[in-house]
Amino acid sequence: MSHVLATYNIKGGVGKTSAAVNLATLAAHGGAHTLLWDLDPQGASTFLFRVKPKIKGGGAKLVRGKTDADGQIKGTDTEGLDLLPADFSYRHMDLALDGAKTNRLNRVIKPLDEYEYVFLDCPPSISLVSENVFEAADALIVPIIPATLSSRTLEQLHEVLSGGPKVLGFFSMADRRKKLHRQIMDELAGEHDVLKTIIPASADVERMGSERAALVDFAPRSRAALAYADLWSEIRARLTS
Amino acid sequence: MTVVTHVLPEGADLAAARASLGEHLSLRAGRATSSITTFYDTFDGRLHAAGVTLHHAGGKLVLTAREDGAELAAAESTAAKRLFDRDLPDALRERLAPEIEMRALLPVARLRVQTLPVAVLNEDAKTVARLTLAASTTGAHGRVTASAVRGYERELDRVVAVLADTLALPEATVPLVDEAIVAAGGDPAGTSAKLNLALNPEDPANVAAATVFTRLVEVIRENVPGTFEDVDSEFLHDFRVAVRRTRSLQRQFKNIYPSERLEHFRTEFKRLQAETGDLRDMDVYLLDFDDLQASLPEKMRADLEPLRGVIETRRARALTSTRRALRAKRTTEALADWEQFVTSRRPADRTVKDLASHRITRVYRKMVKEGSAIDDDSPAEALHDLRKVGKELRYLLEFFASLYPPEVIKPFVKTLKGLQDQLGRFQDREVQANALRELAPALKDAPHTVMAMGVLVERFMQEEIAARAEFADRFEAFASKAQRDIVKEHFG
Repeated sequence: MSHVLATYNIKGGVGKTSAAVNLATLAAHGGAHTLLWDLDPQGASTFLFRVKPKIKGGGAKLVRGKTDADGQIKGTDTEGLDLLPADFSYRHMDLALDGAKTNRLNRVIKPLDEYEYVFLDCPPSISLVSENVFEAADALIVPIIPATLSSRTLEQLHEVLSGGPKVLGFFSMADRRKKLHRQIMDELAGEHDVLKTIIPASADVERMGSERAALVDFAPRSRAALAYADLWSEIRARLTS
Repeated sequence: MTVVTHVLPEGADLAAARASLGEHLSLRAGRATSSITTFYDTFDGRLHAAGVTLHHAGGKLVLTAREDGAELAAAESTAAKRLFDRDLPDALRERLAPEIEMRALLPVARLRVQTLPVAVLNEDAKTVARLTLAASTTGAHGRVTASAVRGYERELDRVVAVLADTLALPEATVPLVDEAIVAAGGDPAGTSAKLNLALNPEDPANVAAATVFTRLVEVIRENVPGTFEDVDSEFLHDFRVAVRRTRSLQRQFKNIYPSERLEHFRTEFKRLQAETGDLRDMDVYLLDFDDLQASLPEKMRADLEPLRGVIETRRARALTSTRRALRAKRTTEALADWEQFVTSRRPADRTVKDLASHRITRVYRKMVKEGSAIDDDSPAEALHDLRKVGKELRYLLEFFASLYPPEVIKPFVKTLKGLQDQLGRFQDREVQANALRELAPALKDAPHTVMAMGVLVERFMQEEIAARAEFADRFEAFASKAQRDIVKEHFG
């Protein structure tokens, strides 16, 4: 059985894709056979891996079992890391999932047990897709920008989830120089179970778009890359505890 | 995953290879690494025969397919001088234990290999195939291995076309290690203890026998160092089988040699057999020990452990005396004299086919006669004796197999083997039961151990009875009218 890890937040632009791409790359570097499924119709992860955002027959056929997921998987530049690409049709994924008696995402993921880790890079919002994800995932990896509004995410998530996956929140795009950031991080860490590692706001992370590669690959000694490495060991420890 | 390996031109280093590939493909090179690679196989080349290669490099043991170099399993490990199945990391033990059994994996070649991983890119600078360039300093040709990236399998065809057609690099038919072993004067297939003889039926009997005897002396000599250094138990076993085969043919062909001289050599080989017998017995007990222990009721298993210590102590003593026997001048001289003796005979009048057929018929008839006289009341010795005669027949059929059509020899050996295995099971149980009885006094201070041994003895005796019950059926097939007719037709 694979460990299924979903990077998720109701809001967009919080560092979800960056977390998914870097953590999945680190997992593969560690020798684990790893898959990243880019569920976001915008296809940011797919773009970073230089893969064409195309699923034969679109997302609906994939989740209905008409297209074999196995045949759609692409190898990446990193050995041991494969990608199930995004497709623009994923924006209608809710329709494909509606009315299904079983968890259709789960049905796609389950047979892919050759992978030790399956990362799901999820689109923002709460929808049928995210509900399917909550059920399929062993853990939700939730990036939180230390600003009042986005910090509500954790509360909302706990309202939606009863039982289900572990919720592993971490601070993303954080700036220790900003008083507000420090204040919110201290408060939230007191109220909620938040991971210790903080991913700093950094121009290096933004460079991923132009380099089209994982930060841990093109700037492995940068502060943010080292923070991702710490985050990955912390997550692994939490998965086994 | 599809993997293809081609051979780099003579003397090509990594930089040159990369440059010439770069003229035709868009490449991104990774970091070159240099490592000492140690290749492993058993003395008799069991991994080679199983179509796999095991090597150690960069702190890892890696198992690959001989055919295309594809990685089958890998795990962290040190580069030990000797690896038994129990020393292997789990991922490798699962695959290799059934192949190597009791044999040790030994370093067969050490190479300094420089490796350069290279990604083949498409127009988006995305990796669509992977190349590994490897060059060694030991004279073997370099290799370029191309492997497909999932979802881009068609790109591999384009890469292979560049390697095979544009650059005209021949496909590698043997792995790098084979070339290195050959360069060092070895045989990648290992050292077999099999006879593999092709005899000419018209040759004089003693000329053909000399071929057999010479091959047996070769096997004996090849297995002396491994026995002496106590590498694994199979060296001594193969040594002893070759000695036993020699003694068997000495008996069967005794009439073509002057009896007094032959008698001297028969004594020498008998001595070699006797002086190595204790060590083999202890090896067998230790090889079986884990299975025997596991067959006990769970709470008695630990009780048996002191017996292992007793066997190991005796084994150490037996090893010392075996070493003394092997090192003795008398032994090396006897082997050399024997070789000289069998190869310097004047050609006999009788052809080998004639004599072999005669002996096979005689021994077969003897078996039929002895076996037919066995009934439920016969003593165990009668069955043991029958097994001994069976062994003589088995060896004759092995030595002279090349003189007869395979469709006659193969089924004959099969029926004989069926009978011999059954007789062997019968005798083994008795030998095992006796061995435990004999070892018991050494454990007089460990009553729980003796009790556990008692449980085993009890079971051996029951299995002995069960094995005996099978005898009649097996023997019937062996002594059937059909089989007797075949012997008459082809050997009579």
